[in-house]
Amino acid sequence: MQNENFSPEDSIRVIQAMIEKTKSTVADNSYYFLLWGWLVFIGCIGQFVLKVLVQYPYHYLIWNITFIGIIFSIYHGVKERGHKKAKTYVSESLDNLWIAIVVSYILFDFAFVRFGWEGCYTFYMMLYALGCFVTGRVLKFYPLIWGAIGSWCLALISTFTPIDYNILLCGLAILISYIIPGHLLKRQYRKLNMHV
Amino acid sequence: MFKDLDPILHSQLRLAIISLLIGVKEAEFNYFKEKTNATAGNLSVQITKLKEAGYIEVVKQYKDNYPQTICKITPKGRRAFEEYVQDLQTYLKSRK
Repeated sequence: MQNENFSPEDSIRVIQAMIEKTKSTVADNSYYFLLWGWLVFIGCIGQFVLKVLVQYPYHYLIWNITFIGIIFSIYHGVKERGHKKAKTYVSESLDNLWIAIVVSYILFDFAFVRFGWEGCYTFYMMLYALGCFVTGRVLKFYPLIWGAIGSWCLALISTFTPIDYNILLCGLAILISYIIPGHLLKRQYRKLNMHV
Repeated sequence: MFKDLDPILHSQLRLAIISLLIGVKEAEFNYFKEKTNATAGNLSVQITKLKEAGYIEVVKQYKDNYPQTICKITPKGRRAFEEYVQDLQTYLKSRK
C-alpha cells in the first residue's frame, strides 16, 4: 500500500474495501450445521426405521452416533481456534448462543430421563428453531430464519401427531433448519471469500 | 469550513488497519498482512504509530511457542475514526 497523493476519495475507498473484507471474517458456520444436521437426520430416519418398521427394542441406540458429532466438533473447534486470525463480535455472540443451546439440550435430556421421552422431539425442534432464528437474524441469512419458522411450525404440529411420527417431523425440521441452510451458508461463504 | 483530516489516520495503511479493527473485536498481525497485502516491516511501523497515538492497543504474547501480536481498537481510536469519517463527509459535501 502506497501513501503518495492519498486523497479523501481514496480514504473512502480504503474504508469501504476494508469493511467489505471484514465481512468474510465471519467464520464459516456451516460446518456445525452440516455435521449435526446430517447426524441428527440419519438418527431420526434410523430410529423411525428401527422402531416402527423393524420394531427393534433397542432402537434408541442409534443415537450413539452423536458421539461422532461430539468428537468431530471438538476436533474442528480446536483446529479452528489455532487458525483464527481475528475475533469478531458476531462470531463471539453466536458462540455463546450455541453454548447455551448445547447446555439446554443436555439439561433437557436429564429431564427426559426423569419424566419420560414422549415430548422430547417437540422440545428439540423448538431448540433447533431458537438457534437458527437468532443465527439467521444476526447473519441476516434468510434460509436459517425460514428454517427456524418451519421448525417452530413442525414443533407445534408434533403436539397433535403420534409420538412415532414426531421422529420423522424432527428429521424434517433438521433438514429445513440445519441441512439446507447449512449448504446454502457454505456456498455463500465460499462466494464471499472468492470476491474478497 | 473544512477541517484538516487527522494526519494519523490520513495514511492509506493506517486507515486500512483502523477500518479493519472497527469491524472486529481484535485481530492478529497476520490478519492485517493478509487483508492489506502490506509488507511486515511497513505494517509493523504503522501499527507502532497507531499505538503511540493511543488509537490501538497492542498485546504481544506466545501461542503454541510462536510470538503473536494482537491489536484492538481503543475508545480513543474509535472516536478518532468516527471524527475522520465525519470530516470526510463534510469535505465531500463541500465539493458537490
